[in-house]
Amino acid sequence: MMLQDGSTQLLCLTASSGVPLFTRGASRQLPFSVIGSLNGVHMFGGGQGVVLSCCETEGGGKVVWRVFQESVMLIAVSGGGPGGAGSSSKEEEARLQRLLENVWNCMVLVLGQDELANMRNVERIKRDLRSCFSLIDQLLEERHEGFLGNLTHCADSLLPPNPTLVQEAVDGFAQAADSEFGCLLVHGRIAAATEKWWRLAPQEVVLLSVLMRSLSASGSASCDYPVFLPHGSPTVAHRLLRFHLLPGADVCVLCGPTPSLHRAESGLVGRFWSPLVETLRDCLAVGERCLPASISLRPDMLALLLINRETRRSVSCVRAPTNHPLSGPPLLSKARCWELLKLFYSFSMTRYFSQEETLCVSPEERTQKGNTEDFVLGFTHQPLQCYLVTEECKSFGLQTAQHQLFLVTPPSVPTFALRTAATQTLSDIVTATGF
Amino acid sequence: MADVRPPAPGSVLVSDWHRCKESKEFFNKILHKKMRKNFGLLESPVMPPQVAVDTVHYKIFISGKSGVGKTALAARLAGLSIPNLHYETTGIETSVVYWPVKLKDSGRVLFFRLQLWDCGENALRRFDHLLPSCKEQVDAVLFLFSFTDRTSFDDLSNQIAKWMVPPVSPVVKLVVGTKFDLFMHCDVAERDVKLFQERWRLPLLRVGGEVGDGLGDIAPVLNCLAEQLWHQDCVTAGSAGIHTQETETLL
Ligand SMILES: Nc1nc2c(ncn2[C@@H]2O[C@H](COP(=O)(O)OP(=O)(O)OP(=O)(O)O)[C@@H](O)[C@H]2O)c(=O)[nH]1
Ligand SMILES: [Mg+2]
Repeated sequence: MMLQDGSTQLLCLTASSGVPLFTRGASRQLPFSVIGSLNGVHMFGGGQGVVLSCCETEGGGKVVWRVFQESVMLIAVSGGGPGGAGSSSKEEEARLQRLLENVWNCMVLVLGQDELANMRNVERIKRDLRSCFSLIDQLLEERHEGFLGNLTHCADSLLPPNPTLVQEAVDGFAQAADSEFGCLLVHGRIAAATEKWWRLAPQEVVLLSVLMRSLSASGSASCDYPVFLPHGSPTVAHRLLRFHLLPGADVCVLCGPTPSLHRAESGLVGRFWSPLVETLRDCLAVGERCLPASISLRPDMLALLLINRETRRSVSCVRAPTNHPLSGPPLLSKARCWELLKLFYSFSMTRYFSQEETLCVSPEERTQKGNTEDFVLGFTHQPLQCYLVTEECKSFGLQTAQHQLFLVTPPSVPTFALRTAATQTLSDIVTATGF
Repeated sequence: MADVRPPAPGSVLVSDWHRCKESKEFFNKILHKKMRKNFGLLESPVMPPQVAVDTVHYKIFISGKSGVGKTALAARLAGLSIPNLHYETTGIETSVVYWPVKLKDSGRVLFFRLQLWDCGENALRRFDHLLPSCKEQVDAVLFLFSFTDRTSFDDLSNQIAKWMVPPVSPVVKLVVGTKFDLFMHCDVAERDVKLFQERWRLPLLRVGGEVGDGLGDIAPVLNCLAEQLWHQDCVTAGSAGIHTQETETLL
């Protein structure tokens, strides 16, 4: 096996000549000769008209390749899946593919596509790429409990108890800042955003949330960050202005040259947001549950992920079990519940449900992918529900034209009750919030 | 306009005021469970009405080459967690520090709200609009060098000179040497530091090492900064009066 279990290493090389640009992740780096060979087999395939995209080692490790803009080659190497319910090589491959796509988007976000696509000076690009490491390492760490956007490419959202008030404030604030793109993050999740914000590519919305969370976690008061939008504006930088309103609540706008950070902060933040302090505190009180307290969730539910397929938004929550059975299996930790939810999501998406195609995939890849999917799935119809029973938990997935819902329950819940639990939960949330 | 000569330390503010018992009720407002309190932009320390205290706002720019420790210093002063690794700052990040002081002459207590502007050096070079934004209405500059990086020290004079040319309005200037704790790797001799100080006559402070649990390690920097800022304001207020008179006679 090439790497320790569970760790992922990322390699970046120039696509044309295989010059290493950087490696991230995993404490023990792969030897240079291995990196060279990994690049070599891909090149060899290319020479034969074959695109090598993934392979598996005997020990359960995985390697995934991808070339972006015919300029940058990214390779992800993992030392075997995280193990446990539902994890198999298929989910792991999907995870690594997503990772490469996200890493590339990060690189474009920080440096812009021009610099990456036309590498004239390798030493300079190497130096400049260092400015992406903070975001890339965050993607590799994957320990952001409670955030699934990297995986689902749907925006992790929080449904505020008073949506109209915050919506108006975000709209008004963005407009005053000469921007059509504004967004309010509460506990790192989108509580409200302008209409245009939702028209950004889903990956962009997710990526900007990741950036905002990392800026917010540093505790700084405000930011002015140049950002390229991987799809909407890959060659012209916009300015992401972010303001730390209250601990846990951040608002941001995407701007052109004006207003300056100083002016926006001294002139607009207080004017638009001071009257809303109490409203913001009500949003903060929603906490990690992401849903207003008025919605009661079934007590026997461990984890939930609800996706709106049209708006590409999601809400998710995990509840640590409260009942303490004297005998029986040990209780699952919160972290494990998040993990199970992610695994079940990947399980369902790679086998049964369809994913709204993300824009990053090239047309050839799409047909290629479509073909394999049809072949593997072997279904002549679109599955609407699926479930999985393991020793640890039971899971149920459900999809409608508008929504996808994934539930994780303790093993004690009778299997026949899962479907009712899921349909009920879906209709409860949608009726109460219009999500 | 000529630059304001720095006042002697402790001549404007009560030094070590954070150690006095009477300052407790003020410093408690910036602490939470013995840690520094993080304020959102919509928040500020609130004193009971009978001890109403004015807050004065200042903008401070942190200057210095990549890796010198700008982000680390801002985090240290603001009581935020200090990054162990060097991740380049890819834009402007500001942090807010509230700091209570007592004026020596009048005994008046004030809250200083110091907003520190930290911009990654490589970002500054890549994007032209960042530096003007940092300079807009700035009140002070902290020039950073690292004791472990000789070139960062040698470049100080260049950096400072850029801020000496008019029409830059007077800004308070302070020099901060970072990574003073890494004495094994020290690359800047004490002798050189002395020579530098004699030449520029700017306050020079040394920081580095573990963050203590008290305010002791940041108080010298914040008090020095507050003292300079207050002094500059007093001088500007005084000369502004003279200035208007002059214009009147000219008319
Ligand atoms: N031991 C020690 N390390 C320090 C000190 N100050 C900064 N560092 C370390 O030096 C490295 C770089 O510090 P940063 O604050 O990120 O550098 P920066 O000036 O913000 O760099 P750019 O954002 O690239 O311009 C980090 O690994 C810090 O932990 C210090 O006083 N002592
Ligand atoms: Mg920095």
